Amino acid sequence: MLKTLFASAALSLSALTLALPAHAEYPERSIQAVIPWGPGGATDNVMRSLTPYVEKELGGKFILNNRPGGTAVIGSSYVMQQRANGYTVLLGAENPQLYKVLKLADFDYSDFYPVNIIGQNVVVIAANADAPFNNMAELLAASKANPDTLRMGSTGAGGLPSTISAMINAVDELKVREVTFGGDGPGITALMGKHIDFMPLSLAAARELVRSGKLKALAVFATEETPELPGVEPITKSLPAIAEYLPWGPFWGAFVHKDTPDDIKQKLVDAYAKAVANPEFQGFLKNFGAQSLNLQGAEAEEFLKRWQSVTTWSMYKAKAIEIAPDSVGIAKP
Amino acid sequence: MSETFSYLLMAWSDPNLMLLTALGTFAGIYIGAIPGLSVTMAVSILVSFTFAWDVNDALALIVGIFIGGVYGGSRSAILLNIPGAPSSVATAFDGYPLAQQGEAGRAIGLSTVMSVIGGLIGTLVLASAAPVIGDLALRFAPRDYFLVAAIGLLLVGSLSEGSLAKGIFAAALGAVIGLVGMDPVTAQGRFTMGQTELMGGIHYVVLMIGLFGVAEALYQLHNLDSPVVRQKVDKILPSVAMVLKFLPLSIRTSLIGVIVGVLPGVGGDIAALMAYDHAKRTVKNPTQPFGKGAYEGLVAPETANSAAVGGAYVPMLTLGMPGDAVTAVIIGALVVHGLNPGPMLMVENPHIFWFTVGNLALANIFLLVFGLMGIKLFAKIVELPKAILIPLILVLCVVGTYSVNSSMTEVFWMLGFGVLGYVLKIFGFQMGPIILGAILGPLMDTSYRQAMSSVGDNPVELFGELLSSPLSLILTSAMLLILLSNTPLLGWLKGRLRPASSN
Amino acid sequence: MKKTDTLLVGERTFCVLLLAFSLGIAVLAYQIAGFSSINSAGAFPLGASAVMVLAALSILFDLRGRTRADSNGWLDAARQFTRAHFPPRTLIFTALAIIYLATIHFSFYASTFGFLVLSMLYLRRGRLVSALAIAALLILMIYLMFTLAFSVYLP
Repeated sequence: MLKTLFASAALSLSALTLALPAHAEYPERSIQAVIPWGPGGATDNVMRSLTPYVEKELGGKFILNNRPGGTAVIGSSYVMQQRANGYTVLLGAENPQLYKVLKLADFDYSDFYPVNIIGQNVVVIAANADAPFNNMAELLAASKANPDTLRMGSTGAGGLPSTISAMINAVDELKVREVTFGGDGPGITALMGKHIDFMPLSLAAARELVRSGKLKALAVFATEETPELPGVEPITKSLPAIAEYLPWGPFWGAFVHKDTPDDIKQKLVDAYAKAVANPEFQGFLKNFGAQSLNLQGAEAEEFLKRWQSVTTWSMYKAKAIEIAPDSVGIAKP
Repeated sequence: MSETFSYLLMAWSDPNLMLLTALGTFAGIYIGAIPGLSVTMAVSILVSFTFAWDVNDALALIVGIFIGGVYGGSRSAILLNIPGAPSSVATAFDGYPLAQQGEAGRAIGLSTVMSVIGGLIGTLVLASAAPVIGDLALRFAPRDYFLVAAIGLLLVGSLSEGSLAKGIFAAALGAVIGLVGMDPVTAQGRFTMGQTELMGGIHYVVLMIGLFGVAEALYQLHNLDSPVVRQKVDKILPSVAMVLKFLPLSIRTSLIGVIVGVLPGVGGDIAALMAYDHAKRTVKNPTQPFGKGAYEGLVAPETANSAAVGGAYVPMLTLGMPGDAVTAVIIGALVVHGLNPGPMLMVENPHIFWFTVGNLALANIFLLVFGLMGIKLFAKIVELPKAILIPLILVLCVVGTYSVNSSMTEVFWMLGFGVLGYVLKIFGFQMGPIILGAILGPLMDTSYRQAMSSVGDNPVELFGELLSSPLSLILTSAMLLILLSNTPLLGWLKGRLRPASSN
Repeated sequence: MKKTDTLLVGERTFCVLLLAFSLGIAVLAYQIAGFSSINSAGAFPLGASAVMVLAALSILFDLRGRTRADSNGWLDAARQFTRAHFPPRTLIFTALAIIYLATIHFSFYASTFGFLVLSMLYLRRGRLVSALAIAALLILMIYLMFTLAFSVYLP
């Protein structure tokens, strides 16, 4: 309880604490962890599950703060504007890597220091159980037979479905009507009601519905079958050319300001590495349908760079974005 | 069967669960009563707080907060004309006039009993027909959501006292405010004037707090020296005869609440406004004129928003899909606790369903107890000197707004909306339609574009679907009927018929 | 508000301002995507702003034929309007609120306390001790409610 008092007093005391060697015994007060997505979403769930373990490892208290809006632009830019003292952490997803090419903002994760790339989601392409197609090849054939008539559920520019469809279009042709929903939830509801024909979804969102037979999975967006969905073919079976973009999945990570003192960075990196490796959290991730990554340091930076490069260049190739990625400093894969 | 029964009574027989439900209900009432402290926020804080708990304990606390919170919004609506949550906007229409007449205690008493009745009906529907209604929700295509939003917007007619043009203007203004921010389809900014802070849009709770809270505070500044209204605090509990009199209306409005609550993306706020509209249309002889302190104007929204809670649980428990923002967080809580919300939940973990049903009923009983407790004390809030009340209202508005998205920019917007609302009020504009527009505008925009995209931007095909799908046809006819009854055309027809029949 | 045959002071000006505001909104809506498609980001905003313009026109139209308010020219009308709806009390309270918001980032509790004390002092014309006591009590309630009970992140 006292610690929450510290948090509210934190802003008034920030000048004072800055004058002191703030990193002497970090963390000496609560850390504000910004989740740039609303409560109840996938990112929120992952972060709320992970944070208690991080608190235990770090020996400090986190105040989780949802600052949603503008595809996470609001929350992420807020963290960038805070002091680089390790007391503001960004718990975000993959979206900032696309800000520059979508002209949403002029920063990306290279402006942050990656504390940990926690894990990534597997993507499945799902359709209603009664749909006339059973795998990716049949879906592609159906879309070619009647171009621009199949209805694909989407979550807007930069969302998972539009990125996946861009990648498919970069190597093949999938001409569809994009119907945009406010998120996975409303999209899946429409898919179950047969108001749309198919939708690329994260495994976490689709697994239960596939398991209960309300939806069927046409393909897993990977080179191999996933143990959670036995019998569902990998997308490379119908679309071998897409292998150059794989493995690919939306990810979650913890980030701090780039200029944070090195010893604080190290403390956070250690705490997060141990927390993510905690067997209980690993169990949660598995149950959630996600893959653990637990990357830090150079590995994390490499992961971020590759993800951004692969995604933006395939989108550019499929004409889903207008600006060439190299014009904003993104190298070809 | 006996297993079902034991799950149902689980919360009733375990003192620990009972205590948590009671605690949740009690806390929920106060969370709901303070504008800006929302049930969604409280529940999402609880998710990490109850992380290590047993899942039943966590769910019991959450159910209590949900039930208490939806009801709590009516308190501040009645006492201060500041709805604690968007779902109690309609409650203020007749509740506040009652408080002005010294009947705050009775209004709270009636709204408590009616909330409980609505909540129990919602629970009953959830228990008896969840799978059927869950499937009904799936039948709603984007075009049907568009029609629901359009029907909702027609409520402007009954929400705007006096000038219909002013009501329509207010609703359109609300819709524009609701559209501010990033377009969900193309991610381009709309009405943002290049401001990054506006990309996330303006939350309609921010708008609501400004229009009702701050505008009311500014308005009350004029009455600083006028004597306070003495509150009658006897006869708080409505008589049995009174409850029986309102029973038919409350059953109808509860059903409206459940159905609207089931639809994802439309919740208790719209349900309450639709129920208010329904009461206004169907009740011929209200206790006082609507908007001036009609009991019916309290009964309708309070039953509907409480019944919507049961409705929101339907798609969550049968399909794993959220019926509203709160159930979305509850789904997250189930995931954190290692359960898999989805269609298999009822098969693999049937206890979650029946436990929730039993728990909802229990929370409603606690609501009756806590809601009727301390009314006398609460009624005194109206008697507080205005010079103390007004600054306090402003501080609460600031804290409440900040807690929505932790944005100081939004707090300034809130203050701006307050001054705007004050000026609009001077010239006879109503606040209700603005909120209605802000909630329904974005829904109409997205559903319109979903419907258009689904037919490949072909309006003729969309029109054909409106006539060929039974559900769309029903909704279209309902819309036309309401439109017709709102326009002078019907009055003209009646005027033609009346002389003929009297002769 | 009752419908009267006499216009309120400033009503006509206000309605003209509403119309101008609606036209401004319409321009902004047009700038989103023009008339490019019936299914564009700008389609619905254009529709909503068109409704605003039409409604504002209709409101102006309704004012026709009603007696003008009793005022001598613009300046007098503005003065009457301010006296009726924005007396010094309202203006000073609003100014206090703005100062409160502007200083809130230094310390939430300090600025809230300051705002409560100053506004109560002003609205009740004195009584410093009771104002201090009440403000302290309210601050304590806010602290218990928000920081302790619900651990809300305060500014």
